[in-house]
Amino acid sequence: MDSNTLQIIFSGLGTGSIYALIAVGFNVIFKSTGALNFVQGEWVMMGGILAAFCFNDINMPVWQACLIAGVAVALIGGLTERFLVRPLVNQTPFALTLVTVGIALLSKSLVMLSLGKNPVGYPGLSTTTSTHILGASVATQTLWILGITLTLMALTHVFFSYTRWGCAMRAAAANPRAAALVGIRHSRVVFSAFVLAAAMGGLAGTIITPLTLMSYDAGAMLGFKGFSAAMLGGLGSLFGAMAGGLILGLLESLVSGFVTSQFKDALAFLVLLLVLVLRPQGLLGKPEVVKL
Amino acid sequence: MRFTHFLRGLAAATLTLAAPLTQASEPLTIGTILSTTGPAAFLGEDMKAGMEIAVDEINAAGGINGQPVKWVFYDAESQTSKALNATRRLISQDDVDIIVGGGNMSGIALAMVPLATQSKVPFISTEGAHSIVAPVAEREWVFKSTVDDRQVFERLKDYFDKKGITRIALLHDTSGFGQAAAEELKKLAPSLGLDVTFEAFAPTDNDLIPQLTRIKNSDVQAVLCWTVTPAGVIFAKQAEQLGLTDRELIHSYGFVSQKYMELAGSSADKLLLVSVKFPVGADLPDSDPQKAPIKALTDAFETRYGRAPNQYVAQTYDAIQLARHALQASGGEPGKTRATLETIQGHKGVGGTFNFSSERHSGLSKEDIVLIKWADGRFRLHDYK
Repeated sequence: MDSNTLQIIFSGLGTGSIYALIAVGFNVIFKSTGALNFVQGEWVMMGGILAAFCFNDINMPVWQACLIAGVAVALIGGLTERFLVRPLVNQTPFALTLVTVGIALLSKSLVMLSLGKNPVGYPGLSTTTSTHILGASVATQTLWILGITLTLMALTHVFFSYTRWGCAMRAAAANPRAAALVGIRHSRVVFSAFVLAAAMGGLAGTIITPLTLMSYDAGAMLGFKGFSAAMLGGLGSLFGAMAGGLILGLLESLVSGFVTSQFKDALAFLVLLLVLVLRPQGLLGKPEVVKL
Repeated sequence: MRFTHFLRGLAAATLTLAAPLTQASEPLTIGTILSTTGPAAFLGEDMKAGMEIAVDEINAAGGINGQPVKWVFYDAESQTSKALNATRRLISQDDVDIIVGGGNMSGIALAMVPLATQSKVPFISTEGAHSIVAPVAEREWVFKSTVDDRQVFERLKDYFDKKGITRIALLHDTSGFGQAAAEELKKLAPSLGLDVTFEAFAPTDNDLIPQLTRIKNSDVQAVLCWTVTPAGVIFAKQAEQLGLTDRELIHSYGFVSQKYMELAGSSADKLLLVSVKFPVGADLPDSDPQKAPIKALTDAFETRYGRAPNQYVAQTYDAIQLARHALQASGGEPGKTRATLETIQGHKGVGGTFNFSSERHSGLSKEDIVLIKWADGRFRLHDYK
C-alpha cells in the first residue's frame, strides 16, 4: 500500500471514529426509549464550543478544557432528560423523537446567543501537530481520536456486559415491564442513557474541534452523519455503530481521494441507501422478529 | 424582528432631527437582505454595519435631494427560501425603490435575481459570483458592488505570469460561491492559458486530506481555495500537514478575515489571499485613489463600533453609496435608477473605482485587486500591481 492510500485511510478512520462515537450515542438512547435523539449532534457541537471557551477564555490546558466540557455536556444531557423529557405525558417513541428535534433547535439557538456565531478552535492534545507513519503524514490529533474512540468503545462494552448497572439498562431496554417487575426503574435507565450519550457526544466534540473547528451550527450535519453510521451498522448494536462509523468515514475519504470529490456525500449516502435496501436491519443489526 | 423595528425607529428619529426642510417629502426606500444568522452570519453583521454607516451619513447630510432615506432590513438566516420571501415582501409590501444586498451568499443573490428582474426593481448585489450580473441581457436590473471571480482570475493570471505558473488546482466548496467560481474558471481557463484541475468539498466538510493528497500527487504549481466557510482553515492546516507549502497556496477574497487567520495559526503565514485593497489600506502608496476613502471609512467605523472594520463593511458601504448616486438622479423612478447605474463612471468608492456600462454591471476591475499576506497579526500588501 503506498503512502497516499495510507494517508487517505488515516483521514477516513479519524472522521469515521467521530461518526462512530455519535452513532453510539444514538444507539444508547434508541435502546432505552425507542426514540431517535436528534440532540446528539448538538451535544457534539456543545462539547467543542465549551472546550474552546474553557481554553480561550478561562485559559485552561487543553486536556482539562476537554474533560470539563465533556462533563458539562453529560450534565446538560442529564438535565435535558430530567426537565424536558421526563415530564412528557405522551412518551411514545415518535413523540420523543419530535421533542428531541425541538430541543436540538433550542440548544443551537442558546449556544448562538450565549457564546456567539464565530467558529472556534484550539490546539490538539499533543504539542506536535503531525507525525509520519510509513510515509503518510498524520495529524497527531487523529491518533488521539482513534485511541480515545477505541478506549471509549471498550469501556462502553465492559459497562454494558459486565457491570450491574449496564446489565440493568440492557434488561430495561429488552423488556421494560419485566425489568420494572424486578425493580429496575425505567426513568433512571433513561436518565443514565441520556447522560452516557451526551458524554459520548461531548467528548467526540472536544477531540474533533482541534482538527475541524466548531461553530454553533455544525451539530446538525455531524448528527446526521452519526445517524447514518448508526443505521448503516444496525441501530442498537454497539459494534454496528463502530463499524458503521468507520465504514462511512472511510467510504467518504476513499471516494473523494480516488473517484471524485464533487459527489463525495452523494456516493457515500448512495452506499448507505443500498445497504438499507438490501439489508434493512443494518450490517450488524438483528432483524426484528414479531411473533403473532 | 424587534431589532429591525428598533432600527426603523432609529432611522425615523434621525430623519425627524435632520428634516426641517424636507418635512413634506416622501422618503426613498432602500431594502436590504443580509444573513445575520446561519452559516454566513459572520459576514452579515459587518456588512449590515457598513450599510448602517452609509445610510446614516446620507440622512445626516439631509437625505437624497431633500428626501430622507428609509432603510428596511430583513435577515435571510443564510437560507434561500427565507431570502426569497423577504424579497417578495420588500417588493410588494415595503414598495422599495431599490434593493441593496443579496443575503451575503452568492447562491441567495442568484436566486433573488429573477424576482428583481420580473418586478423591475433595481438590485445592487453585494455578493461575489460573476454570474449574478452575467449575461447582462438577462440581468438588466442587477448590479454588483464587489469584485467578482472573473476579475480575480484575471488578476491572478498576472501574478502567475510573474511566477511562471501555468498549472493550478481549484479547490472549491459546493456552495453557490464555490460552484460559480468553478463554472467561471472552466470558461476562462483556455483563454488565460491555464491548465486547471478541479476539486470540490462540501461547506460543512471537516476533512480535506483526500482532495489535498490528490493535489499533492499532481504537478500543479498553485492551489486556489475558494470558500467563505471555516473549511478554509482546515485547508490551510492540512496543506501544511501534507507539506504542500512548496506550492503557492492562495485563498479567494471570500476568506480575508482576521478571525480565520487567527484560527489557522502558524499555517496562515504560508497563505496568499486575493483581496480588495481595503485590508491593507495603510500599506498602499499615497497615489492610490482608495487610500483616502479607506481611511475615512475605517475611522468612522472605529468611532461607532469600537473595532476595526473589514472589507465586507466596505463593499456594502459602497453599494449604498452607489444606490444614493442613482436615486439622486432618478428620484426613485425605477427605470431611471437602473439607467443611471449603468452610466456611473470613475466613482471612487472604498472597495475600488467603479465603472459601469450597459455591457458591464460589475463595477470593479482587476486593478482594484491585490495579493496580501498575513504576518504579525495583520494583513500586509504582497503584490500591488
